[in-house]
Amino acid sequence: MIVALARRLGGALLSVALLVTLVFFMIYATPGGPAYSILGVHASPNAVAALNRQMGLDHPVWQQYLTWWMHLARGDLGYSYTEHAPVASLIGSYLHNTLLLDSVVAIAAIGAAVVLGLAQGAYAHRLPGRLIGAWQIVGYSLPTFFVGTVVILVFAADLAWLPPGGIGGAAAAGHPLMPWRHLALPAATLALPLAAGLSRYFGHQVRDEYRQDYVRAAAARGLGPARIAFGHVLRNAARPLATLIGMMVPSLFVGGVLTESVFNYPGLGWLLWRSALEQDYPTLTAIVLLIGILTVLGNLAADLLNTVLDVRVRYD
Amino acid sequence: MTDERLSLDSEGRTRAYGLMWTWPRMVRAASAEYLGAGLMLALAFFCWIGPTLYPHNGLAIHAHHILSAPDRRFALGTDALGRNVLARLMRGGQTTLAIAFWASAIGLVAGLAYGMAAGLGPAWIDRLLMRLLDALLAIPTLVLMIFFAAIMPLGDVGLATLLGLVSWPGIARLARNETLAARERDYVRAARQFGANGFYVAHAHILRAMLPLVVVNATFLMADMILGLSGLSFLGLGIQPPHASWGGLLNTGAGLAVIGSWWLIVFPGLAIFLAILAMNMLGQGMLARLNGEASG
Repeated sequence: MIVALARRLGGALLSVALLVTLVFFMIYATPGGPAYSILGVHASPNAVAALNRQMGLDHPVWQQYLTWWMHLARGDLGYSYTEHAPVASLIGSYLHNTLLLDSVVAIAAIGAAVVLGLAQGAYAHRLPGRLIGAWQIVGYSLPTFFVGTVVILVFAADLAWLPPGGIGGAAAAGHPLMPWRHLALPAATLALPLAAGLSRYFGHQVRDEYRQDYVRAAAARGLGPARIAFGHVLRNAARPLATLIGMMVPSLFVGGVLTESVFNYPGLGWLLWRSALEQDYPTLTAIVLLIGILTVLGNLAADLLNTVLDVRVRYD
Repeated sequence: MTDERLSLDSEGRTRAYGLMWTWPRMVRAASAEYLGAGLMLALAFFCWIGPTLYPHNGLAIHAHHILSAPDRRFALGTDALGRNVLARLMRGGQTTLAIAFWASAIGLVAGLAYGMAAGLGPAWIDRLLMRLLDALLAIPTLVLMIFFAAIMPLGDVGLATLLGLVSWPGIARLARNETLAARERDYVRAARQFGANGFYVAHAHILRAMLPLVVVNATFLMADMILGLSGLSFLGLGIQPPHASWGGLLNTGAGLAVIGSWWLIVFPGLAIFLAILAMNMLGQGMLARLNGEASG
């Protein structure tokens, strides 16, 4: 158990180290270098050289690479040239917004996946199972940015039921439903493909459970379909749920970038998009690293949860 | 249950019905992979043959027809510069599908090479390569794509390369596992005994053994590439204007749709959706057939 934990942790650290290295060398290999993006393409060579000296960009690669690690270790993520603030202080509120959106989405998607998956597995090869199956393939083939724009058009522009985006200004702060009203559309948009993918996976689990002998034995003992579904099948099929949640983490962030951009929801994904368009390298780098680390942590947590939940899982 | 076995039998027994097919039976027999393949063919026809049947320039500006709704002259309306949306949709589809195709091809080749190297090499190489792969798989692909696309301006070839190089780890994992499974089969060992060299065994036996699964996953990869490329273009980081792409059309349309120009988002969005749906259906249908199940 201890060895397995250490190995998982080692793998996670390796992921992070690889990401940090990859990002460093990509920035290093950028044509023109960061100085040009700060000063603009028409900057004089002298100004570029001066800035390079000031930022330590004239040192040999390995020295820059070590400095890069030391800065990261100290939590120094650089200085945003477009927001004129240290990146580390900038990210906090965006991270908070993203975690809020993502937790709502995760709960909604998992809830929907369990209900739909159970129905799909129980009625496999019959009409309800087929309908859910058809819905799933449509659901995760729909690009979030398309769904998002249509949803804004219908629910915000035409029907004016919900705000089209953002998180509301100071005027909205007192309203008790404010954050939820602003969360509803982006959360639903982001949850749709996730629920489709998860429920398909879960539905297959349920269907396989229904083929097991213990289900037949339970039916032979005279247990009703509800008892079998909730008392037996659900418990066994729910075991890989932790893995499922781990699988969700990257999709949450990927979908989050597009959804937050469509709805102008000020989260990490939105900030990633803005800093990419404005070529704000320090912010961009910090967010890529942060999302990478969060993903690795999410996977790690899912693995650990899996070990705790299922005594049969052993990492060797 | 009986109907299903009749329509989805993998041994081709459905053909026995021949001309007696009635259309409900045909619909049932037309399982996911045929629908997906048909849809993809239709989209390719629309993008590449469409311009010859509908010879209009997608870059020509009709100053008197700005943001005109779909009518007899402009079947899918015009955009904010008075350009023909249908013509732009066709051109944009060519760019989107071609780049997604080449990106999948690059990802496929890179993944196969990496996975087979891990599976055929000595154990320590396998362990090293797989550790690296785990690390790479942990990084969300779109985030990496945005990062790369932001720090270097990319043309069409650059975009295909970027998408391909970001997306290969899944294929590599599959290729490695299948290689490990195949290399211990009797016929592979026999070939080795007869003195076949490693390269021959790799392509003639191992690659051939995993080909069906690789084809299935290549279809899913293509779906991912269409989504990734469109997402990137939607964010303004992929294919750059004035070149049309489905994601780019959706991007410029998103702001104008709110003031009533719905046709600017509905048609490009539907095109992206249908292309992804086609590839997913094709892949899932084939996968179900490989596993000997009914597709659903």
